[in-house]
Amino acid sequence: MIGREIVRTQDVTKIYRMGREEVPALGGVSLSVHAGEYVSIMGPSGSGKSTLFNMIGGLDKPTGGEVYIDEVDIAQLGIYELAWLRCRKIGYIFQTFNLIPVMNALENVTLPMVFAGLGADEARDKGAALLARVGLGDRLNHKPGEMSGGQQQRVAIARALANDPAIILADEPTGNLDLRTGRSIIDLLSSMKAERGVTVITATHDMKMLAASDRVVWITDGTISRIQRREEMDINVGTIDGKEE
Amino acid sequence: MTETPRRIFAGDTGTRTVVFPWRRTLGMCWANVHNRRGRFLLTLVCVGVTVAFLMATMTWHTILADLGASGDVHVRAVLERAGAFTGDEASLTKQRHQRIWILSLAAVLCVTGITNTMLMSVTERSGEIGTLKCLGSLNAFVVRLFLLESLLVGLIGSAAGALVGYLLGVAQAAVTLEPAVLSGRHLLLPLAVSAPIAVAAGTVLTVISAAYPTWVAARMSPVEAMRVEV
Repeated sequence: MIGREIVRTQDVTKIYRMGREEVPALGGVSLSVHAGEYVSIMGPSGSGKSTLFNMIGGLDKPTGGEVYIDEVDIAQLGIYELAWLRCRKIGYIFQTFNLIPVMNALENVTLPMVFAGLGADEARDKGAALLARVGLGDRLNHKPGEMSGGQQQRVAIARALANDPAIILADEPTGNLDLRTGRSIIDLLSSMKAERGVTVITATHDMKMLAASDRVVWITDGTISRIQRREEMDINVGTIDGKEE
Repeated sequence: MTETPRRIFAGDTGTRTVVFPWRRTLGMCWANVHNRRGRFLLTLVCVGVTVAFLMATMTWHTILADLGASGDVHVRAVLERAGAFTGDEASLTKQRHQRIWILSLAAVLCVTGITNTMLMSVTERSGEIGTLKCLGSLNAFVVRLFLLESLLVGLIGSAAGALVGYLLGVAQAAVTLEPAVLSGRHLLLPLAVSAPIAVAAGTVLTVISAAYPTWVAARMSPVEAMRVEV
């Protein structure tokens, strides 16, 4: 089921400047992700996985190398095109949910639709349907503060899907959730992948994510240390901490 | 889909500069202002006090000027007794300059105060700003959001300040002068002439104060914005 390449990074490097010191975060990462794949970028904190995640999402610019989304080098994009990319091509999910606190669930979900120029009625219907799909059909008018973490993350998933993106980027989506809620969020992400054919890329250190992933990319010290396919993983799942290659 | 190299994505059908509906923006601003009453109260007080001061001064002088223009002997006597009337042009000019100086100082303090408060608000809300940018908002939308919020607060604060200032100015006139010389005309004149100026000045001051914080918010990159922990 390998589709076309939807994300490709080519020797991506990133160096952060902290005053006079240069801190390398990524040292040449080349990775390609195919449409409809579920890829987890695994690594401890400080390994550079969030940096790579930000590069893929067009949220940060690489110091060297290129990031292609749908064969378009995103470094070449102007502000309008970049906003367009973030609005329609990519749906973002964050560890801290990042819902707009003053808006209710429905308004949060319809916000990207408004940015995309959808009419109010159309957006309302679509938003309500998405919220119903993630199991929050009865929570349309709840503000984020009135919902549990798991519910907020469901709203965030509905919001990420608002403009039918090709890619969902999830940064530690289960990081602030308990075990069971995290599990249900992962299930939801994989069923979205199955239903909509959306490509899911997560940056995580949650081992629960392994089973849902088609491929796992392990990042250590800013480089890919290994890439495992699901078939290989089933064997290794018991010895995750082992360093055997 | 075209197979030729392209910069624009397939499916991008033109309308890249989406206009966010004003009503929705206004609703969002109002919700923000309402939700952060505490923070905005500081701004309200800041602009309110300044406008009240301006309005009180203007009310007092509008009344004086109107009374001074009348040829009535009794009114002149009242003004002179209050020490508020003098035919001396030079000292009048000097007084005017002093007033302008003090009012300018007040305006500078007001701008500094509001800018400071708004900067704090931008830092507090940087996560929200980053999220908006991730969802595809243009910087222009962030600018609009913050300027509109300041406009709202500026209007409310100025209106409240103008009312307080008006009452203070009238009270000053009533106490310093003889209430009998004041007619309805003197009460209405400041409302008609000075109030719009005071409200406009306060609103403009607020929006000017918001300019720098807004610029800071608009220019944040999404990653930077979301990294800020408060």
